[in-house]
Amino acid sequence: MNPIDMRTPLGIVTAMLPELIVVATSLVVLLLNAWRHRTAADSRLAGQVSLVGLVVALAALAALWSGGATAAGPPHMVALDGYRFAALGVVLVASIGGVLLALDYLEREGMLAPEYYSLLLMATAGMMYLAGAEDLIVLFLGLEVMSVPVYVMAAFNRRNVLSAEAGLKYFLIGAFASAFLLYGIALVYGATGSTALTVIGSATSAQGLPVMAGLGLMLLVIGLGFKVASVPFHMWAPDVYDGAPTPVTAFMATGVKAAGFLALVRVLMVGFPNTIDSWQPALGGLAAASMIVGNLVALTQRSIKRMLAYSSVAHAGYLLAAVWAGSRAGAAATLMYLGSYVLTTIATFGILGVLGRGGERDVTVDSVAGLARRRPWLAFALAVCMFSLLGFPGTFGFVGKWAILSAITAEHHRALAVVLVLTSLVSAGYYLPIVRSMYMKDPVSEASHAQASLPAAARIAVAIGVVLILVFGVAPQPVVTSTVETARAFVGTGLDRVADLRP
Amino acid sequence: MNELLTSIGYNNWILPVLLVVPTAGALVVGLLKAEAAKRVALAVTVIELVLSLGLWVSVDTSSGTMELVRAYRWIPQWGITFALGIDGISLMMVLLTTLLMPLCVLGSFNYITKREPGYYALLLVLTTGMLGVFVAIDMFLFYVFWEVMLIPMYFLIGIWGGKNRLYASLKFFIYTMAGSLLMLVAILAMVRGAAVATGTVSFSYFHLLANAGAPGLVAIAPWLFLAFFLAFAIKVPMFPFHTWLPDAHVEAPTAGSVILASVLLKMGTYGFLRFAIPFFPSVAYSELVQGVVVSLAVIGIVYGALVAMVQPDIKKLVAYSSVSHLGFAMLGIWAATVQGVQGALMVMIGHGFSTGALFFLIGMIYERRHTREIAAFGGIARVVPIFSLILTVVALASIGLPGLNGFIGEFLVLVGSFKTYPIATGIATTGVIFAAAYLLWALQRIIFNRLDKPENETIPDLTVRELVVLAPLLIGIVWMGLYPKPILDKMEPAAKRYIEMARPGQPVEGVTITARAEGAR
Repeated sequence: MNPIDMRTPLGIVTAMLPELIVVATSLVVLLLNAWRHRTAADSRLAGQVSLVGLVVALAALAALWSGGATAAGPPHMVALDGYRFAALGVVLVASIGGVLLALDYLEREGMLAPEYYSLLLMATAGMMYLAGAEDLIVLFLGLEVMSVPVYVMAAFNRRNVLSAEAGLKYFLIGAFASAFLLYGIALVYGATGSTALTVIGSATSAQGLPVMAGLGLMLLVIGLGFKVASVPFHMWAPDVYDGAPTPVTAFMATGVKAAGFLALVRVLMVGFPNTIDSWQPALGGLAAASMIVGNLVALTQRSIKRMLAYSSVAHAGYLLAAVWAGSRAGAAATLMYLGSYVLTTIATFGILGVLGRGGERDVTVDSVAGLARRRPWLAFALAVCMFSLLGFPGTFGFVGKWAILSAITAEHHRALAVVLVLTSLVSAGYYLPIVRSMYMKDPVSEASHAQASLPAAARIAVAIGVVLILVFGVAPQPVVTSTVETARAFVGTGLDRVADLRP
Repeated sequence: MNELLTSIGYNNWILPVLLVVPTAGALVVGLLKAEAAKRVALAVTVIELVLSLGLWVSVDTSSGTMELVRAYRWIPQWGITFALGIDGISLMMVLLTTLLMPLCVLGSFNYITKREPGYYALLLVLTTGMLGVFVAIDMFLFYVFWEVMLIPMYFLIGIWGGKNRLYASLKFFIYTMAGSLLMLVAILAMVRGAAVATGTVSFSYFHLLANAGAPGLVAIAPWLFLAFFLAFAIKVPMFPFHTWLPDAHVEAPTAGSVILASVLLKMGTYGFLRFAIPFFPSVAYSELVQGVVVSLAVIGIVYGALVAMVQPDIKKLVAYSSVSHLGFAMLGIWAATVQGVQGALMVMIGHGFSTGALFFLIGMIYERRHTREIAAFGGIARVVPIFSLILTVVALASIGLPGLNGFIGEFLVLVGSFKTYPIATGIATTGVIFAAAYLLWALQRIIFNRLDKPENETIPDLTVRELVVLAPLLIGIVWMGLYPKPILDKMEPAAKRYIEMARPGQPVEGVTITARAEGAR
């Protein structure tokens, strides 16, 4: 494929094709909702249309990616490199998962509002802008386009007070975080005279980090830190994850987090590559705090949904550790870990969604007792997910953690690596009891798990997730190759270290 | 025989096949009905045993280095290969494993009465994991096998275990994982250090062995060694990391206890011999580490024996005796003399046979009486003469009676380490005496004394199936006691090579090791 000139209309349409498809689908679904919004069938139709749109966007993305699209001319608002394509892939997978899990769930819980899907698609478009932004203005727009629909989705079960609380809480904290981000952008602009990351990158490389830019960077990290739920900006996460309908939680925990991290990687690697010493300590601290607090608090939870919320804080810590490395190996590890995390989390919440009713807040470690007896495949799938989240060899989660550890040790900073493995050990203390309860205890009553059966759409999502977790756990070569390849986008940033020695 | 094996290219495919067969079998077994699952599992493990026997003739152990080395492509981007190899030490461990597995399957036929297909499938997966640990020569691969093995064992204890199984299985899992996670960081740091020195990123065992002294690594060598040490010391288990062992042993089903004692614990000592010490010899033989390890080994020997003596539960007694026996292995390894290392290896193998047999016997009597309290028995020699005879022989072997297998190993360890650590060896010798005390006392209370409990009067004696399970172990116990030379000869070059790596520059003496051992007998 020839280099794409993004100054021409055709060029920009080509480069932004996946985003445009998602936005167009969102509008189509919204229009569809105007006439058909009453019955379960209407809701299902909206979902199916969304699914088609997302798959088409994924196909367009694959075409762009395999064609090796590159940009001609000066830098642009949106990046055009492998890392963006990979990031869009992760986001699209998360949102396909969000649709598949919702199809039957909304119907079952009586939430017959097809607007769900157009909101989800808008949020997805926002995530795509956020993850691919090479300009702080686009980054902010992406963040807002993503966040506002997700606030609504969190409160989607309007008959449930907890869901409403989740929405409100998320909205207030989210608005707060946006303010941080915006202020940070303003300061960085003031210091460097540009909002384009490449320009900021050459400015900070040439003149170091002036105080104003440093403050701006700090506020940027805080703003994104809220979105990815890292300690100490995680306070909202447990209540919001817990109160939101389960498919929404899955979508938030995967899509929002992934987009936030991918944006963070690009901001730091392109915007502030040579002032790595200024942001590494802060990121290392956030990473360690998230790993420690997330894992320790998760240990005390009885409700599985809430436990997963805290565990997602811990996973934000692992990802921050990968970003901390500040190398291409770190960027590759972030991508790889996000891949494993998204697949595993979608599958986990998919299973959780059928284990209970009314938001699944009362599904505890004890209530899954004996699941292996009644639903062997469901229990097997959940066990695989737990081992993958734990980072156990043989699963994709392990490969991701391995990549992170590898990237950290390459920077000769083993303390963070030790914190990572020790907190992973702590996480065994809450992932394993679920496995134990399913396999080693008897069902509570005869009627237990009678309703625990995956509907067709969710079954597809869970099955694909579990199979990929196992396949990439044993044969990760394709993922390793593609993440290492895509992380090459960050060339000439002074980040060529031993970790990047290999071709 | 060797020509036949060569003609079928045995050396080219045997190691990967040994790893694939059990797992493939597990997939089949898991889908069968209970009765069929038992039979197929037995067939698979017997096939595995037959396949592995060829290694005895085909592996040339005289060089002391890795043979049959094969590296298959795996994750080239990270310098990871699926590399397998075998030397005299791993050969014995592999054969010990493949020999025990059919016995474990056969021995479980009556003991396991629920969810059989899953049970036998897990036993088979466990086989792959254990063999993988002994033949992996890529550190990534080794780590994967080392960890993956935990899952089947976790389920074996947690689903088919005793009353307190949930606690024991979690404790087992967390303890073992705690050690190995730090080892993971150490492996990565080593690979990185070697990469800085040579420009090659590789997880190959040989690559790391050659570059463990790279400048970047020397400074952090004590920390790296500590990480490896923790992983292996927990597995051995050395005092004070042993507390998971009694719980796991007591709660595990019979086959689980046998595998734990006979194979899993040996992975710890194997890890020291293969990885921890050869990687960091100067740390391992620094004054401080020697002092600590030898003290812990001796404390383990004496403490394990003393605690064993007061156990009311026979299974717990044997569990603590393992702590004591493995202490001898650690002492021998650190002695770094040919006798010491050979002795440690003999303890590892001998303990596998005698403790394996003890656990089988305990399981058999438990199936009949549903108790393991020593006090619940008494005088059963008259009721179950065959059982009592075998129990006596095995117990004597465990004590270290000359002519049975336990003696050779412990004797060699004591001889070999006397030169290096005279005082420690002197204290360790008391462990042998304590062993006689706790086992003979237990024997007296179980099979001798007065037959004063009516429920013991009707215990049926061993069945043919049970005798088939025990026979190979008994043959091994007597054979190794009377004529250990073939085994010692196979391991000697590897043991010497270990000493060369562990104590570079120190002359390796003791060529007449086997002759001396026989003379001593």
